[in-house]
Amino acid sequence: MTIIKDMIGNLTHRFRNMCDVWAEEMRRIFHDEGMILFFIVLPLTYPILYSWVYNNEVVRDVPVAVVDDSRSQLSREFIRLCDATADVEIAGYAADMDEARRMVGEQKVRGIYHIPSDFAIRVNRGEQSPIAVYTDMSLMLNYKAIFQTATSVSTAMNSKIQIKLAGNYTDREDEITTAPLAFHEIAIFNPTGGYGNFILPAVLILILQQVLILGVGLMAGTARENGHYAEYRNLKARGIGTLGTLTGKSLCYFMLFSLICLYLTVIVPRLFSFVSLAQPMDLLAVMLPFVLACIFFAITVSVAVHYRENVLLIVVFTSVPMLFLSGVSWPQSNIPWFWQSISWLIPSTYGIRSFVRMNTMGATLAVCMTELRALWAQVAF
Amino acid sequence: MDEGQPEDMPVGVVDLDNSTTSRKLTRLLDAFQTSHVVAHYPNVTEARRAIQRNEIYAYLYIPQHTESNLLASRQPEISFYYSMHSLTAGALLFRDLKTVATLGSAAVGKATMTAKGMNEDRIMAFLQPITIDLHPIENPWTNYNFYLSAVLVPGVIMLFIFILTPYVLGTELKFGTARELMARAGNNIYVTVAGKLLPYTLGFMSIMMIYLLYVFGALHFPTAGGVGRMLALSFLAVLPSQAFGAFCFGLMPSLRMSMSICSLWAVLSFSIAGNAFPVPAMDAPLQSASWLFPLRHYFMIYQASVFNDYSLSGVWLNIIVLLMFCLLPLTVLQRMKTTFNTYTYMP
Repeated sequence: MTIIKDMIGNLTHRFRNMCDVWAEEMRRIFHDEGMILFFIVLPLTYPILYSWVYNNEVVRDVPVAVVDDSRSQLSREFIRLCDATADVEIAGYAADMDEARRMVGEQKVRGIYHIPSDFAIRVNRGEQSPIAVYTDMSLMLNYKAIFQTATSVSTAMNSKIQIKLAGNYTDREDEITTAPLAFHEIAIFNPTGGYGNFILPAVLILILQQVLILGVGLMAGTARENGHYAEYRNLKARGIGTLGTLTGKSLCYFMLFSLICLYLTVIVPRLFSFVSLAQPMDLLAVMLPFVLACIFFAITVSVAVHYRENVLLIVVFTSVPMLFLSGVSWPQSNIPWFWQSISWLIPSTYGIRSFVRMNTMGATLAVCMTELRALWAQVAF
Repeated sequence: MDEGQPEDMPVGVVDLDNSTTSRKLTRLLDAFQTSHVVAHYPNVTEARRAIQRNEIYAYLYIPQHTESNLLASRQPEISFYYSMHSLTAGALLFRDLKTVATLGSAAVGKATMTAKGMNEDRIMAFLQPITIDLHPIENPWTNYNFYLSAVLVPGVIMLFIFILTPYVLGTELKFGTARELMARAGNNIYVTVAGKLLPYTLGFMSIMMIYLLYVFGALHFPTAGGVGRMLALSFLAVLPSQAFGAFCFGLMPSLRMSMSICSLWAVLSFSIAGNAFPVPAMDAPLQSASWLFPLRHYFMIYQASVFNDYSLSGVWLNIIVLLMFCLLPLTVLQRMKTTFNTYTYMP
């Protein structure tokens, strides 16, 4: 009996110690303006700002200049149809290529449609007739809009010309002539092809991790500057071991970040109507190990921090590479193995992948098992 | 990112037809530079799961009787599903899949017309009367790396400057050497700040040089604008960033606060620079706000005068703003002087 009583006594003692550490850490967070900035203000405002930046999702009405040397009914039809699309706006007509080039230089337009003088003649003669498309390549999305619009408009006009030439009798025959093999193109999981839906889930998760590293690192740095070891000895004198300190601190961060995590993964996407298909329980099952993995990762990183300002440098520099390593922007299958293996050490890699899959692609937990196991492995580590 | 453009990305095929035509389409798809057929799935649900497992990015669905319907002119339908959760992969595969479908369609027309005795030219003129002749100026390879590295790397260097400037000024306070510094400069704050920051200017300039040398010399990024503009631009990247850092420190003499503000500002500038998602597509308040970020101006000047060879008249306002950034610290120098002379560091 005494053994059991001892054990219970021991356990309650340890538990109380842990709670002490927890309370101490909580107090420190709320008494430090820097900590409030990083733990509360930053996670609340940054997601909003980022969402706002990408909220419009798609690029509309990219301005394009036209050099119409053909001046025919057919060339005007092409221009009219381009202007009517959502992606491109005909912002002006230029007399020649030099003028159009100047318009691009002045940033008034992003591309040029050049219709050669024999355009209509060639079409009517039954020859292939090219339209030249020049695009400013400094922005991928503008290029895509300008090029795809020209392609789709020319396809539509081609069908009309084909119908005229084919001399069919019925509408059905016309349909089959223009498209013997019909095809449907279906964009799934992000049907509008929006930029926000693409980048934001990853950014949200990354914010969570980086804020944690920042906060924990700053705490550790501050503690060290104020005589970390004295405090540590103080704790030891009260009989609180390393394990107690660690769990106490983690519990404190965990409580705070569960709330922030909820805000980031549930509230923000709905606030801006981003795609959010994750099941609540599945989300919980992934976010729990993710937050824990981040906390321990942050504590590990914080060991290396001597001055509290240094952690800022670490976090800020790793943010961009970490986003890339998660395989959001550059396909995961095309990341070199060397970088892949580095990415295995970072919680955000798996956090982002599983969140993107569940949130944007509506995957179930079973699909994300690899990521989940990896996250738990990181927690255990 | 050596490839410049992702190559051989995994795609799947759901082939319920199992005919010559369907196999031809599959082979065609596999032969493209960007796509690589890795698996066949028995049905659409399986293929969707594979996308969710991140095994493939897109799949082609060929239903039963495609070939027989095609030969009998009953207009069969094939579909391709591509996941846009990754815009890069999605957009590139969309292009391939669309080409495959168009070619599949054209092959039928071509066969019919050949049978009718038309020659190649006539067939092509019938199938595609209007063609699009694409000229992607300065980047005919649509190399993805040009977009990213050309702005992200200078952005990171500028970020470094942003944070390091308040750091070097602030550590003088932190370790209590600020007064000594002032005394050495004859209690002249202009000399102090200029002297303190000049070595870093040189240091950062040499980092920029190494970057330029590597990117334009070794990797052959397009530089239509020429070397002179490039050097001038890197100068315009370093100085305003330093000035911004010094300004923040002058405004908030706390080392930590000024560093925090600078880093938050700099991280935000990656998004608002508009090198991925264009600024004109953002909301109006953000468009105005983008003027406050040096990286935005850097990008504007870079794309107009280095990447393309346009005249500087299109971006003169950006240059003026960057120069104005350099003058910012003048407004807080007096404040900084009192700070240096009186403050003691409180952790």
